[in-house]
Amino acid sequence: MTILEMLKDTAHAEERILEAVQKAHESQKDLNAIVTFIDPAEQIAHLNEHKGGLLEGVPVALKDNVNTKGIKTTASSRILENYIPVFDATIVKKMREAGAVFIAKASMDELAMGGTNTTSVTGPVRNPHNLECMAGGSSGGSAALVAAGVVPMAIGSDTGDSIRKPASFCGVVGFKPTYGRISRYGIIPYSSSLDHVGVFTRSVKDAAVSLEVLAGRDDHDMTSSSLPVEHYLDAVKGDVAGKKIAVLKNVIDAIDDEATLHCFNDVIEGLKAKGAIVDVVEMNEDLLKALLPAYYLIANCEATANHSNLDGIRFGNRVDAETSEEIMIKTRTEGFGPLIRKRFVIGSYGLFWENQEKLFRQAQRVRRLIVEEVSRVLKDYDVYVAPAAPGGAPKLDDTSRDELSDKYLVADNHMILGNFTGYPSITVPMGLSDGMPVGINLTGRAFEESELLNIAQAVEDITGLCDSKVGD
Amino acid sequence: MKYDVVIGIEIHCELKTKTKMFSGAPASFGQRANTCVNEIELAHPGTLPALNKTAVRYAIMASTALNMKVDTLVKFDRKNYYYSDLAKGYQITQQFHPIGSDGYLDIETDEGTKRIRIERLHMEEDTAKQYHLDEKTLIDYNRSGTPLVEIVSKPDISSGKEAAAYVSKLRETLFYLGVSDVKMEEGSMRCDVNISLKPAGSPVYGTRVEIKNLNSISNVQKAIDEEIKRHSSVYDAGGSIEQETRRFDEATQTTVSMRKKEGAVDYKYFPEPNIFPIQLDLDWVKSIQDNLPELPDQRRARYMKDYGLGSYDANVLTSNKDLSDFYEEVCKVAKDGKIAANWCISELSGALAKRNETLSTMKLSAVHLGTLVNMILDKEISGKQAKEVFEDVLEGKDPKEVAAAKGMKQVSDSSAILSLINQVLDENPQSIVDFKNGKSRAVGFLVGQVMKKSKGQANPAMTNQLLTEELKKR
Repeated sequence: MTILEMLKDTAHAEERILEAVQKAHESQKDLNAIVTFIDPAEQIAHLNEHKGGLLEGVPVALKDNVNTKGIKTTASSRILENYIPVFDATIVKKMREAGAVFIAKASMDELAMGGTNTTSVTGPVRNPHNLECMAGGSSGGSAALVAAGVVPMAIGSDTGDSIRKPASFCGVVGFKPTYGRISRYGIIPYSSSLDHVGVFTRSVKDAAVSLEVLAGRDDHDMTSSSLPVEHYLDAVKGDVAGKKIAVLKNVIDAIDDEATLHCFNDVIEGLKAKGAIVDVVEMNEDLLKALLPAYYLIANCEATANHSNLDGIRFGNRVDAETSEEIMIKTRTEGFGPLIRKRFVIGSYGLFWENQEKLFRQAQRVRRLIVEEVSRVLKDYDVYVAPAAPGGAPKLDDTSRDELSDKYLVADNHMILGNFTGYPSITVPMGLSDGMPVGINLTGRAFEESELLNIAQAVEDITGLCDSKVGD
Repeated sequence: MKYDVVIGIEIHCELKTKTKMFSGAPASFGQRANTCVNEIELAHPGTLPALNKTAVRYAIMASTALNMKVDTLVKFDRKNYYYSDLAKGYQITQQFHPIGSDGYLDIETDEGTKRIRIERLHMEEDTAKQYHLDEKTLIDYNRSGTPLVEIVSKPDISSGKEAAAYVSKLRETLFYLGVSDVKMEEGSMRCDVNISLKPAGSPVYGTRVEIKNLNSISNVQKAIDEEIKRHSSVYDAGGSIEQETRRFDEATQTTVSMRKKEGAVDYKYFPEPNIFPIQLDLDWVKSIQDNLPELPDQRRARYMKDYGLGSYDANVLTSNKDLSDFYEEVCKVAKDGKIAANWCISELSGALAKRNETLSTMKLSAVHLGTLVNMILDKEISGKQAKEVFEDVLEGKDPKEVAAAKGMKQVSDSSAILSLINQVLDENPQSIVDFKNGKSRAVGFLVGQVMKKSKGQANPAMTNQLLTEELKKR
């Protein structure tokens, strides 16, 4: 069921919320998507205070890096296993005002670092379409809960492609708007200049409604934009006649999965049939291959500083010792998983003064060049599109990927472009490959969310994959 | 051997804003531990900095007063290090683009005015305060996030006395601007000194020693003087100075080593991603710069020009801003600025010191003191009477009422005074004889007797003159 359907029948909101809670509990054994269940009783008691809200009575799941006052928020890390925030994230306040009811904190890759959702301290999240497959990450729990129909909406965060990739793997809509469109205050960070807040939904229109609730200037986040929030839903017509769409040739060339390409071509033909002008556009291949290395440097350098607050002194899982310095060392050594420790080492290395110029600063210069390259394409096109992933979700035990291959560097990671530029980017389901969902990714110009959602709606109209059920 | 002394000074100064540098928590001194904090000071996950506009305004004011260039593109950086007083694990500072650069301050020395160049002024945030007990360490986060400016001089200072003059002038300037309390004893202004000696005229600098956390201007001077002695004697004996950080020990009045330099710490500075570069509105900056409060030098010059004060009096008054502000209020009423200055400098300051009070704790009103000065000028009461009246004026009473209640008025009617004089002379024939024998002291005694008879109301100058004339007649 979608948000829009629920809003038509708010009289049964309580029933639906309780049903969502029940489904959440039932799903846990299979999906392992939830870190903390939230008892909605108190929120239900206050429901009538939010009559007419854009999310009135809608059950929502939050990625576990979204701070909820008084409710455990762990970011799926041992170091925050017992952390209970003292304040709500700005988006939590906004959603509550709009009538949303939070029922679960969803699993994620530890501290949002990773693309598999296998590094959570509570164990891997499984894909509702095939429990042997990964849900993708880092917002895997949120993706799985929306895909399984537990909730119609879940919050995620996206630093590389952490919403848009799991959306593709789980067959749901995954949307991150422009950097600065949604406040990051109260979201446990990964990499400040790349972090975006976004949403998983079961339709493009639901994504539009969600954005209207989430967007807006927040004085607590100096990077948030003062541009007015739009009634995005009004623009979502699926009208693409005369719209200019660029297909990213580099990504297509790097994909060998026939079914994925087939689904993609069907969507492209559909868009053309609706009057869109579609061209194949090639980006500078060298820049695309530099995307992932530059990303790792920038993200890890920022992350190592961002997470220096996790020292066990004021909150979190303190490991006691003789001196405060020993407390910090022991707490961090025991509190972080091996992948996190590796990334902190890389980040720290990249920031050393003798390395910073040739690593971190160089990566930022590469980022600038890449942003210019994307802007060049979007000067002539309303959006650019490409398959969100080279295929369906990999098996949980799949270790076959070659991280230096074109397939991995370009086809698997091109959505980082959306984080480097900060441009709005959305993944919409486009079909199945070997029984697993695959999605198409569309990216538009800064703060032109309305246009992006409008074109995404056309894709949804073509595929008919609105509110689709697992196994359809 | 003769040495050149090379000194540079770094000042950390807390800004007197209502709230913290990057959060809405109150910034105040002396509150109960850990009450002036919110989630941002405690660096809870997910918190973000929101820049305090007043802190930026104060930094612009300070930069302008110190003759610096103001960078209107404000940028912040992260300084990364792990320490339990630094909640975020990094400090937000301005490493690469300080808001103020290339300024100077002129100080007065025995050889005349000397210009001390100032390299940079940047904004940053303070850390928490730690209390190390035997068994444990307590942390008070009230200070955490308090806005600071760091002001770094060029190594243009060459003695303890100059250093004291520089810190004192800087302190006075910041205080006049109203941007800081500049209380060194409370730590709202902190001073670190870098010092090295080299053979006189040598182009090669000696090894630099840092003296940290000097908590008074006199200690700045003492510590430097001690350090100059220490370096000189080590060099004279053919030894070498180690690069290290020292502190001034009050008990022994010497500097002692805190830690040896073990290679520079890598703070891994990089631009703060949560605060985009901010282009300040140039009109806003200009309006701040055009409306700076009066600075001490300007005020001194004005006192000398408008009130006819000498440089000594002007200095004494302006070096104490509260007294100086009070003096100006007195002058709004008093008809003579010089006499008003005398009263402020000697009588008032003396009374405050004696009572161990400050102007803010006294009921005294400037209008009353101004009135008192005018009563003397108008010969309504004598200077001696004025001192008596002043005791009540200090308690907030109106001098006119006090004088009336005490029945004081100055008698300047010559026939009335003359009648008293003749009474006194008739009663003291011996004094007349003494006077004739050349004992001039007799005049003083006789004037005293007249004053006594008049209950202190006779105009002393007139009494003196008339008495001398009468004595000569007898």
